[in-house]
Amino acid sequence: MSLYVYCLGDGLTEAALAGVRGLNDEPARLFGHAGLVAVVSPFGEAPVPVTRAHLLAHNRVNAQALASATPLPFRFGTLTTEERLASYMGARAAGLRAALARVRDCVEMSVKLMRETTAEAPAAPPADAGTAPAGTAFLLAKRRELLGEERERRRAEELAAWLERRTSDLARESEVRVRPSESIVVRAAHLVVRARLADYRERLRALRAERPDLRFLNSGPWPPYSFADADVTASGCE
Amino acid sequence: MDEALRFEDEELSLLETLDHVLDRGLVIAGEVTIAVADIDLIYLGLNVLLGSVETVNQVLGGREQRLAALGVRAPSDEGGGR
Repeated sequence: MSLYVYCLGDGLTEAALAGVRGLNDEPARLFGHAGLVAVVSPFGEAPVPVTRAHLLAHNRVNAQALASATPLPFRFGTLTTEERLASYMGARAAGLRAALARVRDCVEMSVKLMRETTAEAPAAPPADAGTAPAGTAFLLAKRRELLGEERERRRAEELAAWLERRTSDLARESEVRVRPSESIVVRAAHLVVRARLADYRERLRALRAERPDLRFLNSGPWPPYSFADADVTASGCE
Repeated sequence: MDEALRFEDEELSLLETLDHVLDRGLVIAGEVTIAVADIDLIYLGLNVLLGSVETVNQVLGGREQRLAALGVRAPSDEGGGR
């Protein structure tokens, strides 16, 4: 029987997880090693299907843990054994404690920005483009395309910088991804101290009012998925 | 749960969950194993979905690249592992 792992912390208690059920309705419990505790539940054979029920269960357990402390969440689908989990926690204990200190008392808030209005049409071809030789016309068209891409990239970066400027005083850290060619051009994750959540929400309301040309997709609080390094360095032999 | 810890928009919660949990968080090397068997769940809420679709595509694309690098043919999404 494998163990499904939800999250890991140093301040989680059985009482905080009392009654919460994980994947396949199995009870979540704590697994302790090296002064750290992981939240786990039994699971059958790999792989883990990405189903609505499993996603909600993964989220339910982590949300319950987040209500009492700030854990480091594991990626969906992490299956292991007690021996391998103990080896991971023991070998990376120092790195994991440092990662926990980084996110302590915080939650992750997510902001995604989409442009409400459609992108500008590409610049009209020059008047003589129709009479230009085929090779020249191709190069002119390519130039217009590249200029358009550059303009979109610059606009997306300006949006990201604007969001960063207007939220940096309320976020301990931020992770920002800029994707000019995608529907969501800016994806930001903010690490916000719990005591400042009300201020943060108020700031986002003000930003929405300030930029009616943007569509905001906000969610949270989340466990700090974006601030839990995927590969915490081992501090000893595994 | 504290009122402040609820999702701001319940309709987004599943899609946002998908977007967060698939490619972020702690990883124990070699121990993330998923199967995209219920892929239709991402076709809910078209307005907010594109982010999740992009995430899934990246995850699947990454899986296929890794398998290709190993010389293994990628399984179909139905029951395919990562």
